Amino acid sequence: MTVLGYTVPAVLSVLIVCGLELTALRTGLFRRPAYWLSMVIVVGFQSLADGWLTKLSAPIVVYDSRQTLGVRFPFDIPIEDFLFGFALVTAVLLLWERQRECR
Amino acid sequence: MDRWQYVLVLAACLAITLPLEIFRPGVYRQAWRAVRAILPVATVFVLWDEVAIWAHIWTYNPDYITGVSLPFHMPIEEVLFFLVIPLCALLTYNAVNAILERFNRR
Repeated sequence: MTVLGYTVPAVLSVLIVCGLELTALRTGLFRRPAYWLSMVIVVGFQSLADGWLTKLSAPIVVYDSRQTLGVRFPFDIPIEDFLFGFALVTAVLLLWERQRECR
Repeated sequence: MDRWQYVLVLAACLAITLPLEIFRPGVYRQAWRAVRAILPVATVFVLWDEVAIWAHIWTYNPDYITGVSLPFHMPIEEVLFFLVIPLCALLTYNAVNAILERFNRR
């Protein structure tokens, strides 16, 4: 049985982080070109590090196939990892930016 | 040596991003600001990770981790992951900001 125990929370985490910025934090991060350029760089390096962690030939992290969509690209990275990474990094950058305004 | 694989991946991430600290105002030079950005987020993600491990959504290959772990079989490497990766992202963002500002000033 497919229950998508990774896919669903991964999508939710992105929605929650974006929702927090748009309704509460309002740092303006999403309007900064530096943010989007940084995310492109982060995804590039994530593919290398994450690719090493998840490669099916000798995985360090092993996923239950029923909990993901099964789309693994690039290398063998479950696409859910990119949502997870987006939420993690964006949330940290939001808190970083928020402290700029407080000072 | 294989047991250090996950640790080495994280160490490589730190080593590669370390030179980015040359860009102002820096991340390590604003350590308290970094701590206050990273720790709350890391806490939430560690909890998510704990639930996922408990529910067997993902597991770790014992061949490639040191074996030091937190309750519910969470490898110490995974905790470090939530500190190291955000730090690398902050260093990237700091550098990109500095470079773009330099271009805009021209």
